[in-house]
Amino acid sequence: MQVVKNSFLRDLIWSLRGRFRMKTLKQITSAMILVVAAVCLPATSFAELPVPSHIIPPTGEHVGEDVPQPIEFPHDRHVKDMKINCMYCHTYARRSKVAGIPPTSKCMGCHKIIATDKPRIQKLTEYWEKGESPRWKKVHDVPDYVHFTHEKHIRKFVEKADFPVEDVQQVCALCHGEVREMTVAEKKKPLNMGFCQRCHQANGGPGDCWKCHK
Amino acid sequence: MSLKVNRRKFLKMLGWGGAGTALAGCDMPTTVTLEEGKEEVVSYLMPEEYVIPGIGVWYASTCTACEAGCGLHGRVREGRVLKVEGNPSSPINNGNTCLMGQAAVQGHYNPDRVTSPMMRKGGSLQNVSWEEALAELNKRIGADSGLKADKFGYVTGTISGHQSVLVDELMEQVASKNHFVHETVNTTVWNAVARDMLGDETPKYNMAKAGVILSFGADFMGTWGSPVHNMGEYAKFRKREIRGVLVQVEPKMTLTGGSADLWVAAAPGTEGALALGIANFIIDRGWNTVDVPAEVRSSLKQYSLEAVEKLTGVPATKIKRIASLLSERGPSLVLAGASTTNIENGYDSAASVMLLNLIMGNVGETIEASYKFPEKSLRPKQGNTKDLLLLAKALRDKKLDVLVTYNVNPVFTAPDALQIREGLAGVGFKVAITSFPDETSLLADLILPANSGMEEWGTHVPAYQPEDSLLSFQQPLMEVIHKESKAFGDIMLSMLKMRSSDFNKFADYYGYLQTAMMNMPGEGTAEERWNSMLQTGLLKASGSQTALTPRLVDIKYDVEKGSDDYPMHLLPSPRLGMWDGRHANIPWLQEAPDQIAKVVWGSWAEMHPKKAAELGVKNGDYVKITSASGSIETQVYLHKGMHPDAIAVPLGQGHEEYGRYAKDRGVNPMKILDPLMEKRTGELASFATRVKVTNAHKFNLLIKMGGSESQAGRKLVRTISSDVLRRTEGEV
Repeated sequence: MQVVKNSFLRDLIWSLRGRFRMKTLKQITSAMILVVAAVCLPATSFAELPVPSHIIPPTGEHVGEDVPQPIEFPHDRHVKDMKINCMYCHTYARRSKVAGIPPTSKCMGCHKIIATDKPRIQKLTEYWEKGESPRWKKVHDVPDYVHFTHEKHIRKFVEKADFPVEDVQQVCALCHGEVREMTVAEKKKPLNMGFCQRCHQANGGPGDCWKCHK
Repeated sequence: MSLKVNRRKFLKMLGWGGAGTALAGCDMPTTVTLEEGKEEVVSYLMPEEYVIPGIGVWYASTCTACEAGCGLHGRVREGRVLKVEGNPSSPINNGNTCLMGQAAVQGHYNPDRVTSPMMRKGGSLQNVSWEEALAELNKRIGADSGLKADKFGYVTGTISGHQSVLVDELMEQVASKNHFVHETVNTTVWNAVARDMLGDETPKYNMAKAGVILSFGADFMGTWGSPVHNMGEYAKFRKREIRGVLVQVEPKMTLTGGSADLWVAAAPGTEGALALGIANFIIDRGWNTVDVPAEVRSSLKQYSLEAVEKLTGVPATKIKRIASLLSERGPSLVLAGASTTNIENGYDSAASVMLLNLIMGNVGETIEASYKFPEKSLRPKQGNTKDLLLLAKALRDKKLDVLVTYNVNPVFTAPDALQIREGLAGVGFKVAITSFPDETSLLADLILPANSGMEEWGTHVPAYQPEDSLLSFQQPLMEVIHKESKAFGDIMLSMLKMRSSDFNKFADYYGYLQTAMMNMPGEGTAEERWNSMLQTGLLKASGSQTALTPRLVDIKYDVEKGSDDYPMHLLPSPRLGMWDGRHANIPWLQEAPDQIAKVVWGSWAEMHPKKAAELGVKNGDYVKITSASGSIETQVYLHKGMHPDAIAVPLGQGHEEYGRYAKDRGVNPMKILDPLMEKRTGELASFATRVKVTNAHKFNLLIKMGGSESQAGRKLVRTISSDVLRRTEGEV
């Protein structure tokens, strides 16, 4: 259970709890997000993802190049509309240094049945039937002398912080931008050493050179 | 326009570059290193459940860098093998590897591998398809080819397991007996002596149990027997309650000699006499634990301390000291290696050495019965140089029409005097199954690209089985890199199918091996046994131990006389790393400094400083080494770990082909060896060649690690004079 420190928030939560007979913090947070969304949505075209309260976000922006991919994969459709969790497809993020591109078999798990009339799905099916995986272009890349691991970051910011896994996209977005608004991935953050360093300083990440350069 | 950058300009640029980096700090646009859309990332199509990108999976296999048959674990990530380590369950190497095993990945990913079948057309080798290659092969060796039995020859290195079975099958199909098994680095003569005097070719040498090891040139931590196993045993020997003492007698300090407590250089070729002298002294003092027949006693009488000192140049005090060490610090273990055994009377030298084991009662104590794999057809055929001489003779007599070679390079490893190259020209059709374009395969009419050891299935039965009777299992650590290369087993099956329809039932070597292995006896179901083999990389079988039967042989020992024209002894010394030259195409091993001379990426000749002073040469000067069969020129490295009458040129370099890393680098001492034969075993007497050495009046910096060999009076390492040490250890 997440510890809520802010007294105003705590009061609000307790009152909500009483009024709507909500038991878990998850239910409460979802309700609150719904309320906030209802207020904000008419004002803007979309709501910005909230920054998780336990993280001071890294600063720095980047205007990414357009990277054409073999199939124009719509992240927005999957994340925003279908509400699929990032780690459903990028399943290795919590277990390995790389988040991993989903195996083609995973795509086909749904798309044998779903949207089979769409040209992009037909292209995917072609790959599948040939027994090949699409050759995607890497968008988020750090140099070979940088040892970045997804696993450690997920452990710190999600698992150890008791952050709800269903909201993991808020954590992912800190480095990957709001992927739910993109079709193919674009690079929105610089991912250079300053970017990493600032976040490490703000959130108590390791400062030794060799932690990343090994 | 040419842009000239000298050191000064370079430093200037470096300075500005550094300042730029500092100013921009960590947020400078790093378009060079942070790429978008440049690299490809390809997902698995359908991964195994246990596969996680970024995390390695370890598979068990067997090392093929030498013949010892060490078990390996290979780390595979995203379908690529990245690193190998020893398999802890293998009693051969107990989880350790040597540098050759570690560097084997560079052989696997080597850019000079043969990537397609090649056929000689109009004098030059051209890429062809497998269909065309096999069709041509079928024409030459198929059932309808009219190939005559004795006209077919096959050359391999040490071979065992099912690969050996397939070669045997082929030889049987063709009804030919010409299977030549060739290894330059071997212990054949010693094994023959062990067979005759102990009743077992490869008994277990229990170093851990010995209190003193006396080694006559057996570089057991480098190139003798099963080096990784020996290293582990040696460590135990040193960690005994009373630390084991190692005495090494050899004309050139080897890796093992470098670790010795007492290093003795007897005159090259007289080591047998020294052994007999020690034996005589021991019997004289009554220190022998086993009774010695009177006729042996009397024949040993001629090896008195004075006579042996005169013959070997080893002072009588030292001989006494070695004898007393054997008796006081026992149980002892006495071994002999190349410099003692690979001479014309090598068998008798080795037998003289083995005599010490017999009289000191080491048989059954530090020399124990070893294990033999129960299935005889899978046992190894150990390579030697006798077969090289036989091959040379067959070629000279134009006895072969078709010759197949598999991962051996006799054109490189044979002395020029054997005229292998010229002999091959007389063979109608030469087939090379090989991973690399080496000197031998480039003379072939047909080259069939073989998989690397990390890409194929196989079974290996190590010759030296000290702990248990086992078969070491080789499984691919990854898919083939080059689509056109094939596993040796698959190529053999293709050849067998050309001769007999019995083999049509096997789709591939994997299927053959699986059938064969599942049919082997053992616990559990066939599938369980197969899976356990895949997991452990081993099949342990309840092998029989051969009981040792010590007996004396007739030793006819006499020291060979040299001629005045060629006063020095040439020692073509093998070393861990280059081995017989097969690893010269691996940059890591070229880069790894020689354990004694510290030289990298080249050849050198090791000489005693005294001899060098006579010649007027210093480190880096070139000398010309001339034998009756040819000459080579290389730089000298001066080292006191040499007998003054010997010059050592390490094996491995001097390739004329064999890829970018090996080609045109250094010299090959094998080339100038005289074609002398060890009298009793028919081995090549590779340490018997005499040479003369002359100053070539040329100098170049000798490229070596380690810089200065003097401490310049700084006492970085505290030393003690040998006199003082001797006084503390006690004198005889």
